[in-house]
Amino acid sequence: MLRASAVAERAGVPTASLVCEGFRGQAATTAAGLGLPSLPTALVPGHVDVQSPEELRRNVAAVTVDAVISNLTEAPPHTGKADVEPGPADVVFEGTFDEVNRFFYENDWSDGLPIVPPTAERVAEFLRFADRPGETELGVLLPDRRRATVWSVAVNGVMAGCRPEYMPILVALAEAMADPRYGVEHSGNTPGAETLIILNGPLIRELGFNYEQGALRDGIQANTTIGRFWRLYLRNVAGFLHHRTDKGTFGNTWRVVLAENEDVLRRIGWSTVAEDEGVSGGNAVTISRFTGGGVIASVFGNTPDRMLPYLADSVARKVGWELMFTVGMGAGSQRPLLVLSPILAETLAKGGIDKATLRQRLFELARIPDWQFERYVGEWTNLVPGRPTLIGLVKAGTIPAVFAASDEPDRLVPIVCRAEDLMVAVSGDPLRTNAYAFAHNGILGYPTTKPVRLPADWPRLLREARNR
Amino acid sequence: MLAPTGQRASGEWIDDTLRARAEEKGLLARTPLAGEFPRQRVELVRGADPTAEVNRLYRLRGWTDGLPIVPPTLGRIDEMLASCPLERHVSLGEVDPLGGVATVEKLAANAVMAGCEPEHFPVVLAAAQAILDPAFNLRGVQTTDENVAPLIVVNGPIAHRIGLNAEWGALGPGWPANAAIGRAVRLVMNNLGGGWPGAVSFAGLGQPGRWTLCLAERERDTPWPPLHVELGYRHDQSTVTVLRAETVINVTGGLDELASVIGSAASLFGILHSGKAGVILSPLTARRLAGQGLTRADVRRRLFEHGRLSADVWRRSWIHTAVREDEWPDWARAAARSGAIPAVREPDDLTLVVAGADLPIPQHAYCPSWGHPPCRVTREIEPEDSIGRR
Repeated sequence: MLRASAVAERAGVPTASLVCEGFRGQAATTAAGLGLPSLPTALVPGHVDVQSPEELRRNVAAVTVDAVISNLTEAPPHTGKADVEPGPADVVFEGTFDEVNRFFYENDWSDGLPIVPPTAERVAEFLRFADRPGETELGVLLPDRRRATVWSVAVNGVMAGCRPEYMPILVALAEAMADPRYGVEHSGNTPGAETLIILNGPLIRELGFNYEQGALRDGIQANTTIGRFWRLYLRNVAGFLHHRTDKGTFGNTWRVVLAENEDVLRRIGWSTVAEDEGVSGGNAVTISRFTGGGVIASVFGNTPDRMLPYLADSVARKVGWELMFTVGMGAGSQRPLLVLSPILAETLAKGGIDKATLRQRLFELARIPDWQFERYVGEWTNLVPGRPTLIGLVKAGTIPAVFAASDEPDRLVPIVCRAEDLMVAVSGDPLRTNAYAFAHNGILGYPTTKPVRLPADWPRLLREARNR
Repeated sequence: MLAPTGQRASGEWIDDTLRARAEEKGLLARTPLAGEFPRQRVELVRGADPTAEVNRLYRLRGWTDGLPIVPPTLGRIDEMLASCPLERHVSLGEVDPLGGVATVEKLAANAVMAGCEPEHFPVVLAAAQAILDPAFNLRGVQTTDENVAPLIVVNGPIAHRIGLNAEWGALGPGWPANAAIGRAVRLVMNNLGGGWPGAVSFAGLGQPGRWTLCLAERERDTPWPPLHVELGYRHDQSTVTVLRAETVINVTGGLDELASVIGSAASLFGILHSGKAGVILSPLTARRLAGQGLTRADVRRRLFEHGRLSADVWRRSWIHTAVREDEWPDWARAAARSGAIPAVREPDDLTLVVAGADLPIPQHAYCPSWGHPPCRVTREIEPEDSIGRR
């Protein structure tokens, strides 16, 4: 909400942003990050969701109204110049490995695991593997509004334990993070969802990514350290810190990179995730923020007709309050992901199903009753305020007609707006009949795909790195 | 070492402003290293005698009150926060006038530097909350040319538990809790608010109360309900009450002598702004008065009635020539017509605290107030229902 206020204030329109008590700290840091540290806010005592209308009215009358009036009628205090941070090449510390680690951790620059000290030599080595010079700006990241540069990508890559040859992927990830479509500024929101990085292209094999058994488990350097890099970059450059800019109620650990099994995809003629998202040829990273997920064990059956109901049911079951992104805020931005093990993909393909047909069939099958859908976004959460019905939203033109096929409350409605909103990847143990379904965080981490740009002399550099 | 100095919500460090101000005023000799420090949460100081090095650096950067400090190591800060109910990054507000964010962690760093023990920290937190209350007008207190300082009065069971003195020499040296808590508040004002003398704080002469001015009420030997109970708290709650004191004037004798000093030493700024003043009453006098059937309110009324400034003195004062008579408050002008002006607008504007030794020739103190708005800010120490508790 503060971001909307910032836009209005910049346009010369006074604003008052209502902020629940527990969010005041986040409001202050977010406002500072927006470059408007004195952005006026009006306190709402407690949290509105657990107050009766009478309590809320009392609180608003006693506290909020006065603040709104002063927000709108008084000039905010003057704000000064921004702070000067150490320069990119400044040596901030010299000491032993243990000292460096303690120092970085205590300055909030580390995630609690030991880091590899980002020495000038290590950073220089990483920069050799980038296609652009260190000072190149890749975007500006909220909430701290810090510039993402190739240099800071290298520094955080070193710290995460990456190898220099991962650099092209790290740079592409920083570009994806800075893409407004992704919405990095939401990364501290309360549901605390975590990003999944999906990798496509020849780099999967060239750099030794795991895409078979244990594809989502830590333990393989490329998958693991690049996942960690993502979180360190969010911390050190975007500026998401526990108890301050991060408001994730629980959150969870960063996810390791999911590499697709492109050998299988090629064999069955299915497109990759990157291709589905419009980036064909070469290497690409896709980032998307998922609220959670779970394994779908033992898919039984040898035809699509026998397999799809279970898979579709599991995709639908993972999505609850997240349906707000289907019909409410950012309507149409719910993008669940189904990861199939190769054997499942191959069995479906043998049954005559290509990727587009699969997504269409899942769209038709992953459905829940209208009354249940409305309960998730209305009665239980108030996430789509005003309790609109799906039929009403269709009439208002917010969502497609498929949500109002009849006026029967028991009718089944889809969980996404279009078949293409369902993402499907292939990875994991090739010969086990399991799948994995993720629920998605909508516009607060929308799927964003970026090509990975390699330096001109990549083959030579790669050979050098392998024989190091 | 955790940087004890103030960072604004926007990320700037207040030291840059302070360096510029000190430079303008030709005061850089006092703080030649102002603004020269690593811009990060934690700094490592090495060497043969790191404690001495920290002291040297902090003094030259302007982060001390001139006396040696205890280095704010993370270990000491963690100990300070071990039983703190608030999470370390919670902010209690921005400290005027330069607006450093008063996070619990920054307050703890300054408390460590001041020599506080962890058991003192709840009082420091409550006192910090009190001076951050807009009613306290910290901006005014920090920047005025008057010599005002926060007077910190502690009530309730915590005072005894942490050895906060209310008796012999309670406002003098020798009492670690009294010394360290008041000093911590001053360091917070210096390091988070930027109240550097001559650069931001323009108090003409200052006063020793600007190092520390902190005592407990001698509740055990007070015949009346203690101050915090009078203010609506329970006996078993602990509170901090903060007043603005221009100075502490010793008065030896009885109520008449006290009233006489209150009248003659009344702050004209206090009258102009209808301020509130503090009175520290000896326990023996309190008991004598109670024996005569007087309540706290009765004593305040007596002091109000008898502690008056002659209207002639008022009219001859420099401030009367500086401020037009119709700008003075109605109550003061009305009182002047009857020949004398009370030190405060009404008896309740005198805050009565019983403290000091049980001397046969009783000693009291009068603490005239300063400035606008009238203030007496009370905060509960470690309230049970505070929001954001860990």
